[in-house]
Amino acid sequence: MFYTVVSYIDNKYTVRYNFDSLKRKGKFMGLKVEHVNKTYGTKKVVNDISFEIDKPSVYGLLGTNGAGKTTTIRMILGILKKDTGEITWNGKEVKRKNVNFGYLPEERGVYPKTKIYDQMMYFAELKGVKKAKAEESLKYWAKRLEVEQYINMTPEKLSKGNQQKIQFITSIIHDPELVVLDEPFSGLDPVNTELLKNVIIELIKNGKYIIMSSHQMHSIEEFCSDVLILNKGETVLKGNLKEIKEKYNANRVSLSTVENVDKYIKELGLEIYNSKDNDYIINISNEEEGYKLINKLVENKVKVEKFEIMKPTLNDIFIEKVGENK
Amino acid sequence: MKDLWIVASYTIKDMLKKRTFIISNLIILIIIIVGFNVPNILNLFTNSESSGESSSSRTLIVDEANIFEGSLESLNSMDLGVTYEISNENISTNDIKSRIIDGEIDDAIVINETDGKINIQYIVENMAMMNNTVPETIVNTLTGIYTNLQISKLGLTEEELASLNPNFEFELQQAEEQEVKGNILVIMILSLVLFYAIYFCAYQVSSSITTEKTSKIIETLVTSTSPRTIVLGKTIGIGIVGLLQVIVIVAVALICAYVCLPEGVLESVLDLSQITPTLGILTIIYFILGYATYALLYALTGSTVSKPEDVQSANGPVAIIAVIGFYLAYFTMMNPTSDLNVFASIFPFSSPFCMPFRVMMGVATPAQIAISIIVLLVTIVVVASISVKIYSNAILNYGSRVSFKDMIKMYRNKDDSND
Repeated sequence: MFYTVVSYIDNKYTVRYNFDSLKRKGKFMGLKVEHVNKTYGTKKVVNDISFEIDKPSVYGLLGTNGAGKTTTIRMILGILKKDTGEITWNGKEVKRKNVNFGYLPEERGVYPKTKIYDQMMYFAELKGVKKAKAEESLKYWAKRLEVEQYINMTPEKLSKGNQQKIQFITSIIHDPELVVLDEPFSGLDPVNTELLKNVIIELIKNGKYIIMSSHQMHSIEEFCSDVLILNKGETVLKGNLKEIKEKYNANRVSLSTVENVDKYIKELGLEIYNSKDNDYIINISNEEEGYKLINKLVENKVKVEKFEIMKPTLNDIFIEKVGENK
Repeated sequence: MKDLWIVASYTIKDMLKKRTFIISNLIILIIIIVGFNVPNILNLFTNSESSGESSSSRTLIVDEANIFEGSLESLNSMDLGVTYEISNENISTNDIKSRIIDGEIDDAIVINETDGKINIQYIVENMAMMNNTVPETIVNTLTGIYTNLQISKLGLTEEELASLNPNFEFELQQAEEQEVKGNILVIMILSLVLFYAIYFCAYQVSSSITTEKTSKIIETLVTSTSPRTIVLGKTIGIGIVGLLQVIVIVAVALICAYVCLPEGVLESVLDLSQITPTLGILTIIYFILGYATYALLYALTGSTVSKPEDVQSANGPVAIIAVIGFYLAYFTMMNPTSDLNVFASIFPFSSPFCMPFRVMMGVATPAQIAISIIVLLVTIVVVASISVKIYSNAILNYGSRVSFKDMIKMYRNKDDSND
């Protein structure tokens, strides 16, 4: 509320305005990265990168190995010093004391010989969380990520995937506003990947701002609203994922038939991208070509099991963008 | 400040829970307890061998020809802690040897006269224990008794007799004014102990920092608190554990010394009047300051490596500084009034191993102590600032070791400690 009613006498309101909240209303809420640069020696690792997250969502930071994702993340968290530019959270410079953030580094790390409970409490305490609250949080997330039976063990006895889940809990045990996940899915099996995806969706529902880096496009496509593709420190593509995809024409048809239909495809002058046991992926230059193909198949009474006109995936866009910059 | 304590207390708890830490300390304590009980344990064995008989040793003296004319009986009244069995019978050497091996007697003295020469054989169980020579006490005692016997035959007056026995009083004097107290050997051993205590505690800091780098936990850690807090918190935590360790070990050693050692043994090696509360406090102060200096140096080298196999070589320079510092203190201590020893007690890398013992020997002046503590404090502040700076810059370096050139660059790098 911007004002509070102090009294109501004889149909007259006395009101006190909350100017602070009025001011805040006009201010940008969220993370803002503006014209950030980083150079190692003579090598420009990050060149003039800018983006912002203004609502609880996942922001995807994509790029090949060595594109500058981790450097960007480290600069956002203040572990590395940026050369120029500004990084702010709710208008304030991003610093440990200004932002309650959680971080899952790309380099996975836990104390191998210290009881998981002890190290979790240590990190929670450093983040200023009360013991009871931290215990409650640990209990919840350990159960959610199916590692509760390991809490009193040392990590060296755990599988890599479970260690990773433990470290993930470390990054969110203090209920941070901004969560930075550097390659969270690397090294996880499909079951655990699914588990972690659900947890991330839960975090967004709870109003968290999430930055996630990855070079696995399909893992990000499902829940990233905005993405930024980096290549050798340069921003090659940036924006709302849906809008980006809409700009692209349909480029493929996925087709499954009972019989071999090579001849019909060739008659229309289309190129088969991939085929196996009458399952086809066919290149098209627009949707019209796709409709022509299905018409032809229907005319010839071909039994069609599946027909889909496909838009390029993030993976296709990524390869195209990064490829052309090589 | 709060974080500093969180890091320190976590370090303490983590160390105390480590199995290797518990086991190695138990071993040290057991060695100390056993070490102080060696005389008692040995007694236990000798007692059981002589099946409960008196613990004083038994010596057989065979004087077949009665060369000493019975004067040997006076030995038993001399209270030498030995029971002498004097025999004038002819006992063969083999008989004597078997009696010694059976444990009936401990040793034997056989006196013979051949061609006007008195031959004295001393038979023991094993010659190696005797350093291959007949002990001086036996030589002197027998010589004395024989001389007195011969003198008494001369029929001298009391005064003449008295003048034959010289009444010398020996006294040691030194040219220098300063008096050095204490047994130098004991002091050197204590200095060695203090050196190891400081060195190994400090070394823990290096391995702790490298472990955090190799296990890659460091990145999570630096986003939780500042690098300065990590380095200082760790140094404080390990220091507290080290100090506790030293106090426990010294306390156990002292208790053992009083309880287990036979009376007088401790006093014979250590002038207990030298051990004062002031000395104790000063030793603790020098332990803390010496530890801090070396621990922070180790924090510096520890943060430049990221692979466990590089730790040894990276720590090399610190080890060399420590060894030079220690030997400077150690060897100049033999001559505690020399200028070099005064230098060693002020030079920050050797003073922790030197000054407490100069105080113990009573040669340190209050001014020297004050200067040496100030020099150490300044050194700690300088080393700490360099270490924290390099640490902040080197923690995310996962590749090869950070070179000296890189270190200088890191130090010059403007504030990167991201508080």
